[in-house]
Amino acid sequence: MKLREFIDERIELSNLIRSQFSEYRVSERLNIFYTLGFVALAGFVVQFITGLFLLIYYIPHPQYAFQSVQRIMNEIPYGWLIRQVHVVGSNLMVAVVFLHMLSVFFMGSYKKPREFTWVIGAGMLFLTLTFCLSGYLLPWSQLSYWATTIVTNLPTAFPIVGECLADTLRGGKAVTGFTLSRFFGLHVALLPPLLSFLLALHIFLIRRTGISLPPWHASEGMKGSGHNIEGMPFYRFMLKELSIVMFYLAGIFFIIAFMPTLFLPDDANTPADPSNTPEHIRPEWYFLAPYEMLKLIPSKFLGITVQLLFVIIFLFWPFIDRSPERNILKRPVLLWTFIVVTGLWLLLTILGGY
Amino acid sequence: MERRRFLGVLLSLTSIGALGSLIYPVFRFILPQGEISTGSVLRIKRGDVPQGSFKELVLDNKPIIVIEIPQKGYVAFSRVCTHLGCLVRFDHEKKVFICPCHGGTFDLNGNVQSGPPPRPLERINLKIEGEEIVIG
Repeated sequence: MKLREFIDERIELSNLIRSQFSEYRVSERLNIFYTLGFVALAGFVVQFITGLFLLIYYIPHPQYAFQSVQRIMNEIPYGWLIRQVHVVGSNLMVAVVFLHMLSVFFMGSYKKPREFTWVIGAGMLFLTLTFCLSGYLLPWSQLSYWATTIVTNLPTAFPIVGECLADTLRGGKAVTGFTLSRFFGLHVALLPPLLSFLLALHIFLIRRTGISLPPWHASEGMKGSGHNIEGMPFYRFMLKELSIVMFYLAGIFFIIAFMPTLFLPDDANTPADPSNTPEHIRPEWYFLAPYEMLKLIPSKFLGITVQLLFVIIFLFWPFIDRSPERNILKRPVLLWTFIVVTGLWLLLTILGGY
Repeated sequence: MERRRFLGVLLSLTSIGALGSLIYPVFRFILPQGEISTGSVLRIKRGDVPQGSFKELVLDNKPIIVIEIPQKGYVAFSRVCTHLGCLVRFDHEKKVFICPCHGGTFDLNGNVQSGPPPRPLERINLKIEGEEIVIG
């Protein structure tokens, strides 16, 4: 008690906790999908902590990277557990972020005044994928080497600047030790503070604009959260969020226990061989749709341009969709576009897996 | 020009100059250092690539393949697929190069036969000096 009083006398921490967790209220009408943002945040924290531990033993050099990862998996006590949590966690985190974006889209939560919140969130999705891409090369396995070769060759589709972009990304004409250094720096030094900054901005915007209500419960001007609304205290909603995080963690441990090779196939346990491309090399599941698209569209330039256009439209969607109607169920054209695009993405992902 | 406006313009120009002088070194630092080709040449014995067969080699860090085509002699190509950089394999029976990533195929002249590759395989210089094949 004395410590609490000591702190309170100086920085009034109790006031802050009361105003942000008890007096700040959240509507009872928020459904389970509203917890996904917090789950994604928890996923990032898990990745950050396990990543810090992996840094202790990982050696970012082509000659030692694969061995150091194998050592983590086979010799370091519980190294397998920490790496598996990092690997499985990264995949589940991408899934949660995808689901979060889909639910925000479906519930029209990107509409005024939350356009910037969407743009920052979409930016964080692409940053998360960049995290995955840069981390994928680090084990220096056959899978990681060739998947990175494919992805870093994508910019060459663009005339004039394409080659320069690809070379800058790789640090040369092919994936080498220079690429490993670049990707390592990106993964552990540049992306974490960048994502943390965007995360802080995202939370700040949510606090400024309040959480949106599902469109079928909302009426003009109603907020899902704030200091002067009816509902439960924020800490109670946070308990709901934490219980979903427990399910998320349970999912990670379920996969580690019962499907340990799900994200670590044979090629992930074979050292990189720059003179031999393995048969049927495939990127991770979240890149399968764009990968398959490149296979189906005969022109590489066209394939990449279509994908880039899709990314731009997705990123700035709130400024493209100007209709004031939030309820997607009352907008059949948008609803069918949503179903067709999501279905196509799923179909391309499944096709890419075979 | 007013003094206030002049100072504003001067400050803007100085700021742009200062920013540029910071960005340029960073930009140059990030750009890949030019890979200096060692101009190395590979010499192998003709017997290493018997009639109708092939050999995979590495020249200047680039994976290449040398093939002996009956009635045409020796040819060498880079094995890097022009689509997304995977390494092609020579299918001896079908006499085509196949990329394992997106299934692109190239004929014996390195030209695209099917699939998404946009350009033929890069041809590597090769000459015969007595009993030796000189590549590069």
